[in-house]
Amino acid sequence: MKTDHELIREFQNGNNIAFDELVKRHLPNTYGFFIKFTADEVEAEDLAQDVFIKMFKALKKFRFESEFKTYLFRANINMSNTYLRRNKWRNLLHLDQVPDQGYTDTTHEDEWRRKELWDAVAKLPSRQRMVVTMRIAQVMPYKEISEIMGISENSAKVNYHHAVKALKENIEN
Amino acid sequence: MNIENRFQQISQSDFNTPDSDTFLINLHGERQRRYQKKMGIVNGLAAASVLFVLSLVTFNQLTDDPTVYASNDFKKIEVMDSETEEYVYDLAGYLVENSDDIWETLAFLDNIEFEPVATMNDGETQ
Repeated sequence: MKTDHELIREFQNGNNIAFDELVKRHLPNTYGFFIKFTADEVEAEDLAQDVFIKMFKALKKFRFESEFKTYLFRANINMSNTYLRRNKWRNLLHLDQVPDQGYTDTTHEDEWRRKELWDAVAKLPSRQRMVVTMRIAQVMPYKEISEIMGISENSAKVNYHHAVKALKENIEN
Repeated sequence: MNIENRFQQISQSDFNTPDSDTFLINLHGERQRRYQKKMGIVNGLAAASVLFVLSLVTFNQLTDDPTVYASNDFKKIEVMDSETEEYVYDLAGYLVENSDDIWETLAFLDNIEFEPVATMNDGETQ
């Protein structure tokens, strides 16, 4: 089986099938990341599509300095930040959509809790937001998080610790 | 539910990955659509720029003062500038010299009230 870098080289030489192969290979991870984020299949698919459309352009200039997986994950994180920012505005503009307190449907309750959590994540400082997103959506080890973000493993842990503390204060109070 | 439980609940949630072939068809379709939209905007801007430059060049070629060329058509022949006047005289001379029927040409110049013809009719020369 060809490596990601080999496929990218083929794509850079004009073979679009190689790009399709890359998409097929990384679609489950990318889609999985966004579905945990949005809990909405259509929205997750749209976000994954946006990321791969950006990749189609960006990979023409890919310089093979990092693993494609890391590169793609950074793009996912950036896209999730955009989504959170967009959602923050959407929430501000649709304040009337807060569910009824007496609502008992557990499916919707779960969805609301998830939404509440991501809204709180959106308010975190950038670095904490990235670490916590990778931990929640991908259950990624600190070592991998530190490599993606270009920080030390300890720094990733500290950021996660601060993020969880801030989230607790934001949600549980 | 505490925060750790919420994290766990989200990270353990199951999902079905969409069919990769359908995803790719949609992906390339959307990519093409965006590309065409982008090209439409680029072409529109390019056309607008060309039009702008062309109109600017045309405007500058006419004259520095738009009131001059805007009102030129309504000016009497007497107030023509010397260059135009010379040209009109030459043109009249050419018409007279090369016409098959000189009387018809003179009648035409008389018709448009061309001053030298009127003078010639009085038996004088220019």
